Amino acid sequence: MSRTSRAAVRVTTVIGAAAALAACTSTAPPSGGDAAGGGPIAVTAADASCDVAAAEAPAGKITFSVRNTGSKITEFYLYGTGDRIMGEVENIGPGLTRDLIVEVPDGGSYTTACKPGMVGDGIRAPFTVTGSATRSVDENTRLAEATTGYHRWVTSQIEALVPKTQEFVDAVKAGDVETAKALFPVARTYWERIEPVAESFGDIDPKIDGREDDERDAGVQFTGYHRLEKDLWVDGLQADSPAMADQLMADIRDLQSRTATVELTPVQLANGAKELLDEVATGKITGEEDRYSHTDLWDFKANVEGSQGAVASLRPVIDEKDPTLGPVLDERFAAVDALLEEYRVGDGYRLYTELTDEDKRRMAEAVDALGEPVSQVAGVVTS
Amino acid sequence: MLGNALIGLREGLEAGLVVSILVAFLVRTDRRSELPKVWLGVGIAIVISAGVTIALALAQQQLTFEAQETFGGILSIVAVGFVTWMIFWMRRAARSISAELRGRLEGALAMGPAAVVVMAALAVGREGLETALFFFTAARAAGETAQPLIGFSLGIAAAILLAYLIYRGAISLNLGRFFTVTGVLLIFVAAGILAYGMHDLQEAGIVPGLTTLAFDVSAVIPPDSWHGTLLKGIFNFSPQTTVAEAIVWVAYVAVVLPLFLRPQRTRAATPTT
Ligand SMILES: [Cu+2]
Repeated sequence: MSRTSRAAVRVTTVIGAAAALAACTSTAPPSGGDAAGGGPIAVTAADASCDVAAAEAPAGKITFSVRNTGSKITEFYLYGTGDRIMGEVENIGPGLTRDLIVEVPDGGSYTTACKPGMVGDGIRAPFTVTGSATRSVDENTRLAEATTGYHRWVTSQIEALVPKTQEFVDAVKAGDVETAKALFPVARTYWERIEPVAESFGDIDPKIDGREDDERDAGVQFTGYHRLEKDLWVDGLQADSPAMADQLMADIRDLQSRTATVELTPVQLANGAKELLDEVATGKITGEEDRYSHTDLWDFKANVEGSQGAVASLRPVIDEKDPTLGPVLDERFAAVDALLEEYRVGDGYRLYTELTDEDKRRMAEAVDALGEPVSQVAGVVTS
Repeated sequence: MLGNALIGLREGLEAGLVVSILVAFLVRTDRRSELPKVWLGVGIAIVISAGVTIALALAQQQLTFEAQETFGGILSIVAVGFVTWMIFWMRRAARSISAELRGRLEGALAMGPAAVVVMAALAVGREGLETALFFFTAARAAGETAQPLIGFSLGIAAAILLAYLIYRGAISLNLGRFFTVTGVLLIFVAAGILAYGMHDLQEAGIVPGLTTLAFDVSAVIPPDSWHGTLLKGIFNFSPQTTVAEAIVWVAYVAVVLPLFLRPQRTRAATPTT
C-alpha cells in the first residue's frame, strides 16, 4: 500500500500544480478597457499577410486577438530584441481566433510575426510599446540620461565625420589619389563608431557603406565609401568618381540632419554596442569590409570604440542593476585595446593582408570574449 | 479543415501513443484487470485540462505564455521519467518471462496501481491543456463556423484509430519481440518528449538558446504536412531542432538504448567460470 499512496501523492501534486497555475499570478486578465482604452488588438492572419490593427500599445499587459483567415495552421509571436519571445500562441487552426496575452513591462521596439505553416521567420512588422509599466522615476531618469549622453557623443562624432569626409571627398575630386587613400580610413573611423545609429534609418547605411556585391534594387547604384575605395585602390579614378564623392557627402549630411532628431532607446544603445562587435567579427576580422584598401583594423578599432561609447553611456544603469558586469566589461575592452595596440603602425594599423592566421585567431577570441558581457547589457538595463 | 484535423491528429497521437503501448503491455502480460486504472488516469487528465480551461474562461483569465510553457515543459520531463521507468520495468518483465514460464508473471512484477494511473494521466495531461484550449476555441467559433470543430474531431478520431492500430500491431508480436519492439519505440518516443519539454522551457525563457538551431529541415518536412504531423505526433520530431533539444535527445538515447538492449542474463544462460 505504501507504494500506492506515494504515487497517489504524485497525482495530487500534479493536480495541485495545475490548480496553482490556474489560481496564482501566472494568469493574466484580458486587457480590455485598460488605460489604452483599445481592448485587444485584432490580428488578421492569412496565408500571406499579417494585419495587426495597432502598431503601438502602452506597456503592461497587451492582448492580441489573432484570427486565422488563411488555410494553414498559423502561429503568432511577439518578439523583443534579439528575437526574444515575449509571447506566442501556437496552433491557431484555420477559421479560429485565439488570444495572446503578454506582459510587456518596458517600452521600446518589438516585432510581431505571424507564421503561416509554422515555419520560417514569419511575416513580421514592427510594434512599439510606449511608456514603462514598472520602472521607478529614478530609473527612468537614469535611462534618459544614458540616451541623451549617448546622443551627445554621436553628435560629436558626426561633427568630426562631416569635415573629415569633406577632406576625403575634396581629395578625390582633385584627383589626389595618395591624399584620398590616406584620408579614407580616417574619415571612416567616425562613421564606423556610430554605424548602428545610421543603420536605424535603414536606407542610409547601404548608400554610405554598401559593398559592391550587396543586393540592390534595379537601378540603384553601388555608392559610398567602398565604391570610392575601389576606384582609388583598384580601378583608378573614374569619370563618375567626383559625382560619387558628392553623393557620399550629401548622404553624410543627410545622416547629420536625421541624427539631430533621432530618439534612441536604452535597448537600442545596448544592441548597437553588440552589433558593432558582431560587425568586427563578420566584416573586419574576415577582411570583408575593406577588401580593396585592407584598412580593416582602423574600422575594427572604431567599431570597438563605438561599442564602448554606447556601453559607457549606460554604465550608471549597469552598475545599479548588476555591479559585477561593469568590471568584466572594463577588463575585456582593455584586452581588445591592448591587442590592437600590438598592430599599431604610426597613426594607423597594419594592413589586413599583413596579418597571419594566428593574428586573426587571437583577434576573434578577444572580440568573442568581449561580446559575451556586452550581449548581457540589453538584458541588464531592461531588467 | 485539413489544418485543424492535423492539429487534432498531432495532439491526439502525442497523448495516445504512450497510452496504447501501456494498454498493449497490460494486455500482453495478462493484466487486463488493471486497464480501468489506465482509463482512470486518462479521465483525470481530461477532467483537469478541461476544468482548468473552463475555469479560466469563466474567470475571463488566461494563463500567461510563460506559465503555459513552463507547465508543459515540466510535465513533459516528468512524463519522460515515468516512461523510462516503464521501459526498464518492461525489460525486467521480459527477463522473468524468458527465465520462467511464459505468461506467468508473478508478484515481483506488480506495477504499483497508482503508477499506472499517473503514467496514463501524464501521457495525456502534458498536452491536455493546449488541446483543451484549442478545443474550447474551436467550440466557441462553432456558432460561426463548425468547420474547425469538425476538422479537429476528425483529427482526434484518426489519432485514436492510429493508436489502436499500433496497439493491435504490438499485441500481435510474439512476447519476446513485443518487449524489444515496444521498448525501443518507447525510448525514441521518450527522447522526443524530453526534447519537446526542453523546447517548452526554452520558449518560456528558463533555458536559453531558442534560436540556436542544430538543424532546420522545415523546407523538406513542413510541420503542417501530414508526414510532419505524424513525425511530430509520434516522435515529437521538430523540423527546427535547437542545439539544446538535440543534446538531450542524443544523450537520452545514447544512455537508455544500450542499457535497454544490453544482453539479458537469464538464470539458465548465466555463464559460470
Ligand atoms: Cu561598416
